[in-house]
Amino acid sequence: MSIRLWFIFLAATCIAALTLSLFIGSTWIDVPTVFAGLFGRASDSVNIIIQSIRLPRAVVAAIVGAGLGASGAALQGFTRNPLAAPGLLGFSACAALGAVLALYFNFPNFITPSAIAFALIGALAMTIFSRRKPGASGLVLAGIGIGALATAMTGLIMNFAPNPWALSELVYWLMGSLKNADKLDVFIAGPLTIMGCTLLFLSGPALRVLGLGEDTAHSLGISVAQTQWLIVLGCALCIGSGVAVAGAIGFVGLFIPHILRFITKADEAWLIPLSALGGAAFLILVDSLIRTTSGPGTPLYLGIVTSLIGVPFFLWLAWRQS
Amino acid sequence: MIELQNITVRYGKKIVVDDVSAAATPGQFIALVGPNGSGKSSLLKAIAGLIPYEGTTSLPSDRRLRAKQIAYLAQNSTAPNERNVEDIIALGRTPFAGHLAKLNAEDKAAIQTAAKACETDGFFGLKFGSLSGGEKMRVHLSRSLATQAPILLADEPTTALDPYYQLSILSILREVSTAGAITLVALHDLKLAERFADEIWVLQDGKFAAKGPAKTTLSEAVLQDVFRITASGDMRP
Repeated sequence: MSIRLWFIFLAATCIAALTLSLFIGSTWIDVPTVFAGLFGRASDSVNIIIQSIRLPRAVVAAIVGAGLGASGAALQGFTRNPLAAPGLLGFSACAALGAVLALYFNFPNFITPSAIAFALIGALAMTIFSRRKPGASGLVLAGIGIGALATAMTGLIMNFAPNPWALSELVYWLMGSLKNADKLDVFIAGPLTIMGCTLLFLSGPALRVLGLGEDTAHSLGISVAQTQWLIVLGCALCIGSGVAVAGAIGFVGLFIPHILRFITKADEAWLIPLSALGGAAFLILVDSLIRTTSGPGTPLYLGIVTSLIGVPFFLWLAWRQS
Repeated sequence: MIELQNITVRYGKKIVVDDVSAAATPGQFIALVGPNGSGKSSLLKAIAGLIPYEGTTSLPSDRRLRAKQIAYLAQNSTAPNERNVEDIIALGRTPFAGHLAKLNAEDKAAIQTAAKACETDGFFGLKFGSLSGGEKMRVHLSRSLATQAPILLADEPTTALDPYYQLSILSILREVSTAGAITLVALHDLKLAERFADEIWVLQDGKFAAKGPAKTTLSEAVLQDVFRITASGDMRP
């Protein structure tokens, strides 16, 4: 199957997953009722479930998944390191620090801008610290360092949590969830993720050449520094907005590009959009699974489930590499 | 035409290319030789615009314009093992590509010509990782030729290759220069340098120790002083 056919297949999978997610959940809604609910012609409760709960939640899952998939593919392509991912390079940790700060100081309305601002600050810091040698090794070292600092500062804030309830709120938030996703989240994360993904798509042709090594890419007219800027800004927008609306979601950015790499034969320019579609479909399906299986008392957290699915893959990758 | 005037390259405080001036004309095959650490790679990188340098060159300073003028074959060139050979060769057309990197008829013709010259057209459809070391180097060389740049710089392209592939690579480079390109190749094998090059530039501690026609430059004195060997290839006593 050609790459273009895979692209169409993944896009169709996304639409199918999105449609499926409208039917399934704690209660199963049949096809005519879902369509009636979409256009506001069902009962009030069904209208609310479809229009205000399931549809926005699935769309937010798609947006967050697309941002994670595209970011992972771009970072792996730029660093030529199969283990590079937004979580490992500190983007998620910086955004989470921003969100936790807003929660700690009791400014819930500022979670989103704070997460995005801290992701951008993290991206800027990574660029500054890798300024002397832009490229794979510089970005990986700076990213891991800044990520570790952000994680430590998040730990410090949790350390100073005034009471167990505040601490549990922070911990639950960090587990990642879409249970509160609404239309506003779609309008916040949607445009930012589209902007971020556009920057990442634009870096695709340069990443293709960077596969030949930085010196060769430079000799072919590619600016490693400019490509790095496109990628760190793109990742900051995607991950910042994703963490703001869904908390920290692990491993999607790592294993989705890996699964799809065999299709694109290491062509990064195709891997980024395919990973965006793959990430979107995966997160919609996992969140639908969570909605279906979670009891009212103990909801499963999305970040936990994606990690539980992702970790075995990560270990398999490490085993295969060794 | 390449003109280099007073080129100096520093890594921190260390000077690796020291006030070097030289010129090369179209059609010349120049072998750049010298002991390890003499500055060969740094001089090639400076000419390719990959590292900062002091001094002036006749080459465009704009990165994209320079990429159209100079094809550079890096030492230990790499490529993703999963990629198809023709896709790797096509990357040589990057300096001419638009944002979406679509190949036009001219690009495709250049890729075919380069692949034929290096006999890599038979590898089309194969993954890069499935090739041997010598075949991989020929693919990298095809990628460099696909740029159709008037200047070709190659940094030790025969290292780690068996004698057949060493001769194969240098024969292709020789043909490229005969066709009119300036070909500047860093080499360790002095016999191959004498056999294939028109001129030899000998670098020692970042300066030219000798520079001239291939047949006469590697004199007994140069071999002894620069390479610490005798004419018969033994270590200098």
